[in-house]
Amino acid sequence: MKKINIANETKKKILLSIVGFIVFAIFIFPLYWMIVTSLKTQVEIFSIPTPLWPENLTFKAYIDQFAASSDTFLGFRNSLIISLGAMVIATVLAIPASYGLARFRFKGTKVIILLFLITQMLPSTLVLTSLYIMFSGMHLLNKYLAPIIADATIGIPFSVIILRTYFLSIPKELDEAAKIDGCGHLRAFVRIMLPIARPGIIVAAVFSFMFAWGDLIYGITFITNPTMRPITSSIYNYVQQYQTLWNSTMAFGIIAISPVIIIFIFAQRYIVSGLTNGAVKA
Amino acid sequence: MKKLKIKSGTILGWAFSLPALIYMLVFIGYPIIQNIILSFKNVNVYTFANKDAQNFIGFDNYIELFTDPNSVLLNSIVKTLIFTVGSIFFQFIIGFALALLFNKKFPGCSFFRGVTMISWLLPVTVSGLLFKFMFAASGGIINQFLVTFGAINKPIEWLLNPVTATVAIIIANIWVGIPFNMMLILTGLTTIPNEVYESASIDGANGIQKLFRITIPMIKSAIMSVLTLGFVYTFKVFDLVWVMTKGGPVNSTQLVSTYSYRLSFEEFQFSKGASAANILFIILLFVGLFYIQLIKEDEVM
Repeated sequence: MKKINIANETKKKILLSIVGFIVFAIFIFPLYWMIVTSLKTQVEIFSIPTPLWPENLTFKAYIDQFAASSDTFLGFRNSLIISLGAMVIATVLAIPASYGLARFRFKGTKVIILLFLITQMLPSTLVLTSLYIMFSGMHLLNKYLAPIIADATIGIPFSVIILRTYFLSIPKELDEAAKIDGCGHLRAFVRIMLPIARPGIIVAAVFSFMFAWGDLIYGITFITNPTMRPITSSIYNYVQQYQTLWNSTMAFGIIAISPVIIIFIFAQRYIVSGLTNGAVKA
Repeated sequence: MKKLKIKSGTILGWAFSLPALIYMLVFIGYPIIQNIILSFKNVNVYTFANKDAQNFIGFDNYIELFTDPNSVLLNSIVKTLIFTVGSIFFQFIIGFALALLFNKKFPGCSFFRGVTMISWLLPVTVSGLLFKFMFAASGGIINQFLVTFGAINKPIEWLLNPVTATVAIIIANIWVGIPFNMMLILTGLTTIPNEVYESASIDGANGIQKLFRITIPMIKSAIMSVLTLGFVYTFKVFDLVWVMTKGGPVNSTQLVSTYSYRLSFEEFQFSKGASAANILFIILLFVGLFYIQLIKEDEVM
């Protein structure tokens, strides 16, 4: 009897694995298609029917992307500058704020948390026009600082919310012990809390980076100088120009998503926890 | 002594929170107020640089947006609703199904579940271009599959026909949003103790009964969160649609967000664009308040 049960269990697991794999394969197909297309020739792409894998595998699209146009390299560099800038601002501001909201119960805590929650739900178009006018007055258009400032506003509320949950999970006694040992609030915060909260801080920073990396609307609006465009904006402009050069566009796309893929491979666990904590809990 | 302590807590709490708060007030709060003021003015390409020519014109922008035959605002609200409801309906059902599947333990499970996340993390601009390519009339893989399986006779111009373009942007958005739904529901599912299912099995409940009598009621709050958050996030989608169709053909995929952008930055009618953005904001605010009410009841705060 038991033996049959185990055999059934194994059968069930194999079946689930097969179903899981099929679902996975369908779901991930667009990504596969992007990679395959980037390795094809234009002729293959437009032949009917188009082959499901590259028959004449070529890296020409990638070589062209790097050699023939500087769009890719410049876009990558600009995005890196903008995303790192936004990440630093968002993280540096969010750490103390989330600590303050987690550790000190004071009048206004709830309102502040609510405000951060609401800002997460705002459409970018709501502040876009005013920011444009404001940056234009400050002579910040076509400067990296404009999208950096704007992108940080996406990272801050998200970071505050996930870091606050993180600080709440650290036992209060740790702080108090530090204070008894003669540390002031600030020193207790820097010496004790920051190192313990490191995993949470990494999640927050990674998300702030990815939000900025994925931004299109601020990039296309505040930066019109082609050499300063972030990569999302330059790939968007590239497609407008070379409508059907799909292998190059997809190679460009792969390069544009590469940091996200790398982050994902190394920090998948953190990302999942960040998504569930930052999105649901307040 | 005790009073002093409470006071110092308040001061410290504010001191720690203040930098972030000020930042958000300057770069989000102030622009929101400016945006409201802007919507009551007549700032456009002619008056942008000339402050003296900018006048308050009351509700004219809003009235024009709703009544002017050239305005597609009402149409774009309807389109946004169709886009949002269509996206959420399928995202939720598929996400739920995937969560149920990946909640079981089987070889490869955590790998499959993990990699599925990727569609949510990709820069939306790239996902949008990818789907634009897949829906292309020549060289597009979706047409090829449909022709191969005999669903259509010849390739369709997906993005050039109003109805199919709407379908295409919804499908692309579903793909992007599934992991979000899946992960949040999965987190909900892990909170259900196994014993509940076991005792239900002993009582002779079948799979469907368990789903509707146990699973769904027990993760009701997670479901409500997913749906309201999904609504808010989908209602304000911009990049995906801008990249795929730019609101076309002939405004058939024009959402409130893309319309507002077009008014401000393609037609340079800044005040009108601001008004359209405010209308989007008001709609979202209602849903957002509903969500906050929801999580308040649910503990956490």
